[in-house]
Amino acid sequence: TGVVPFVALLLLQRRPVAGRALLVTGSGCPSHGLCRSNVQEQTRRQVALLNATAQELFSLYLKCQGEPFSTEADKLCNPAGIFFPAFRVNRTSERKEVMVAMYKLFAFLNASLGNITRDQEELNPMAKELLERLHNTTKTTRGLISNLTCLLCKNYNIFQVDVRYGDSSKGKSAFKKKQQGCQVLRKYVQVIGQAARVLLPHLSPS
Amino acid sequence: MFSRWNWVACGFCLVLNICSPDASGGLVQSCGHIIPESPVLALGSNFTALCILNESCLDFGNIYASQIIWKIKNRVVPKEQYREINRTVSSVTFNDTSSLATPLTCNILADGQIEQNIYGITVAVGLAPEKPKNLSCIVHQISQSTYIMTCTWDPGRHTFLDTEFRLKYRWPEQVFPDCIPKGVNNSCTVTDAQFFVNTEIWVEAENALGKAESDRLVVDPVDIVKPLSPQNVSVSSEIIPTALKLSWENWISDTVMTLKFNIRYRIAGDTTWMEIPSEDTASPRTSFSVQGLRPYTEYAFSIRCMKEDGVGYWSNWSETKTGITTEAPPSKGPPIWRIIDASHSPASWTVHLMWKALKPHEANGVILQYEVTVRDKSSLSSPLKKYNVTSTNHTLQLPEGTYEVTLIARNSAGASPPSVLLIPASNSKAPVKNLTTLPKHDKLWVGWTAPNSYVLKYVIEWCLVSSTSDCVIEWQIALGDVQGIDLKGIKPFKCYLITVYPLYADGQGSGQSVKAYLKQDRPSKGPTVQTKKVGKAEAVLTWNHLTVEEQNGFIRNYTILYKTIDGNETVVTVDPSKTEYTLSSLTSDTLYTVRMMASTDNGSRTGPDFTFTTQKFGKGEIEAIVVPVCLAFLLIVLLGVLFCFNKRDLIKKHIWPIVPDPSKSNIAQWSPQVPAKHNFNAKDQMYPEGSFTDVSVVEIEADDKKSFSEQDLKPFDLLKKEKSTSEGHSSGIGGSSCMSSPRQSVSDSDEGETTQNTSSTVQYSTVVLNGYRDQTPVQVFSRSESTQPLLDSEERSEDHAGGADSTAQRQQYFKQNGGQDENNTDRPCFERAKQITHGNEGDL
Repeated sequence: TGVVPFVALLLLQRRPVAGRALLVTGSGCPSHGLCRSNVQEQTRRQVALLNATAQELFSLYLKCQGEPFSTEADKLCNPAGIFFPAFRVNRTSERKEVMVAMYKLFAFLNASLGNITRDQEELNPMAKELLERLHNTTKTTRGLISNLTCLLCKNYNIFQVDVRYGDSSKGKSAFKKKQQGCQVLRKYVQVIGQAARVLLPHLSPS
Repeated sequence: MFSRWNWVACGFCLVLNICSPDASGGLVQSCGHIIPESPVLALGSNFTALCILNESCLDFGNIYASQIIWKIKNRVVPKEQYREINRTVSSVTFNDTSSLATPLTCNILADGQIEQNIYGITVAVGLAPEKPKNLSCIVHQISQSTYIMTCTWDPGRHTFLDTEFRLKYRWPEQVFPDCIPKGVNNSCTVTDAQFFVNTEIWVEAENALGKAESDRLVVDPVDIVKPLSPQNVSVSSEIIPTALKLSWENWISDTVMTLKFNIRYRIAGDTTWMEIPSEDTASPRTSFSVQGLRPYTEYAFSIRCMKEDGVGYWSNWSETKTGITTEAPPSKGPPIWRIIDASHSPASWTVHLMWKALKPHEANGVILQYEVTVRDKSSLSSPLKKYNVTSTNHTLQLPEGTYEVTLIARNSAGASPPSVLLIPASNSKAPVKNLTTLPKHDKLWVGWTAPNSYVLKYVIEWCLVSSTSDCVIEWQIALGDVQGIDLKGIKPFKCYLITVYPLYADGQGSGQSVKAYLKQDRPSKGPTVQTKKVGKAEAVLTWNHLTVEEQNGFIRNYTILYKTIDGNETVVTVDPSKTEYTLSSLTSDTLYTVRMMASTDNGSRTGPDFTFTTQKFGKGEIEAIVVPVCLAFLLIVLLGVLFCFNKRDLIKKHIWPIVPDPSKSNIAQWSPQVPAKHNFNAKDQMYPEGSFTDVSVVEIEADDKKSFSEQDLKPFDLLKKEKSTSEGHSSGIGGSSCMSSPRQSVSDSDEGETTQNTSSTVQYSTVVLNGYRDQTPVQVFSRSESTQPLLDSEERSEDHAGGADSTAQRQQYFKQNGGQDENNTDRPCFERAKQITHGNEGDL
């Protein structure tokens, strides 16, 4: 059925893995009763919420990593060298295309935030506020994925989307873990703003 | 024999619910078991249990299914419910499990008598869970980013079984762990509520008899949020004196949800909240300017919020914050009144001006000072007098006249409109009419009928009437179009004197007064009664009025209650204005107890008992008795005195008897040389024959002696003896008198020797012997042997011897002489003489 791949996808999202492609297959939308008309608005609010909190999350992350991240953020957190899903959509893009891109983006982010949260729980267990923000952002991302799944299924009959996750930080040094998290979050700040802007006309209440 | 021992041994084993006939296996085995094992049964259903005996027990103890007895607890199940399926299986059937209890045991009668337990099971009887109903959820905001979702439901009927409730929730493609209630069965809290995702929520109830699910609730948790109330609420003043700005911070960012607000406010100290129209605060904001407030007034504010679209729950009201508006000029002039003291000099007044401090909503700020202006209206040329006062009263010395007083209050924002008070030379205008009072809860309503003329306003004065202190006047001003006001601050059970003055444009009416109570009570003590005057059948009672503090109300009447010790109580009602009352128709010489009761509209109080006793005699009764008695006594005394006066001579003779002076006695002229017995002629000259008519003379004849008994004559014998023994020694009158007894004389005359021996004595007495009855008495001279001279009186008495009273006088003399004899210790002689007399009388 279609439920299993989604569940598998979510399980994989919780588990940081390297980029892989997952297929969403099935003939029906999961929990059709929950895919209501308000999902579109909920998705927009979720993106807006993530956009509103992303910068604070990144700043707090840098602050909690200590030196040299707090002073050398531009250098150390340059995301150029890491994988991040391409988000090549704009306001004129088709809604379906935007939705798929969004799904890929937040599937990646969800997995990456899981990695970062796990690493920070290990490296900065006393940074309660950071951990709380990471948890909240992760939860919001999960909800967003749920809503996007619903929209893709209900509106576009899309049951499978290829997604790719980032490199796992498992086994890496503390510095590398911090740096990888820093790079992902910096890119996240950039992309979420773009996503919010792109999503606004597509998900505005009609 | 073996069988019996086998049963005993096996019975012991059965008591322990085990029997081990097959010891070879090394395992302890039961002799049987019940199917089903520990069943859970639906209440009201039917149930059948089977007790299956082991074959080994059959061989060992000769026990069969026909011997099986079913028991519930210790109660034997009726055998009608048994069924022997075969020699090793017995069943029992219950048509209604409500009659079941645990344990259900299978027993057997060993050897036909001894009951032994084979097996037992526990039976649970209950109900399948009902479908949970009324599921509802609310998301509580705990902190800025923490929300918990609490769902509650109706778990349905009690199942009598362990029933597990689980709150389940899920997203379209994600099922979350169940929320299991702790300690309750009707609510559960999910700690990670996630917004903007439709969440399906339901409750599942499950026990051994079944499972039930509630209706499914699909909700976005953001739509059931009860947010935290706004924090850091502050109030600041605005430029205008009728506005305050309220600011706050929201716990929820606009990206999560936008909020709308409710703002409520009230004057500090008030209890009633006012609310800002909800449409004014329906949009997200962090401040609001509240307008239409009173100047210089402290307000308290509180705010709450909820999701802007109205879906969800209102937060709690925030903590109250206060703020004060800025000042504005006083909105009205202070009410002003005066008291005029003209007691020192009618032409010069001491005017006490007094005014009330403006209420906060009238003062609109802090009153810095009052400006008092006095204008003499009777003299246009008189200059205005101005006074700046910080207190609320001012005293002026003014000549009698008409004045206009103007008062203005000032605060930092400006001056109030002026208050004007006209002080006329006299209160000559019409007063109010029909002044009445009426208590209304804790206020005293004062009403009146307006005079015919137009009245600007009324001044109502009142004061607490006290017996110990002066009446401290309070006052209030009412507008001219009202005919009654409520007086506040009136104490119950206190007497107030209320006066109403009408103020006209050109003068003032005289005051009308009335006394009133807000609430009356019975007097705090009763009158102390005492008697002013007590009579035989009436008593005048007197008492003092109760003081106004003791009255607690209007004294409607006094009641006098009086009674005797054992009598009925009599009640008399007395007008309250009186302090004296006369009780009448009382019983004389009776103890009465009287007490007095004072009554108000709300009760009575009795004073102490007083006792008094009515008098035995009425007024004048004693006088009516004593005066006549005294008069009678006086009359008797007077009559006695008169009588005595009339009979003074007689009395005098009794009191002061005439003792004849022997020296003047005629007998002294007798020749002492002439024996008495020979002087018959001389005696004849002095006492003509028959002159002694009344003198009692005992005439004793010689023959008469015989007529006396010997005993009667003994005294005479004694006399003789005494005479013979004391003859030569006697020298007193008494002695003489005694010796001159007739008998003595007779004896003397008989004995010439004795006469010769007493030749030196004076003979002064004459004994005349009356003739017996009509016989001519024979005069016998007797010679006195006394040496005492005779008194003149004797001479006089002899001179009167021929008078009409001479006889009686002589008898008295005789007796008096006897008395003197008695006093002179010669009483026996007199008594003897009397005896003699009596004896003669008796003979007569």
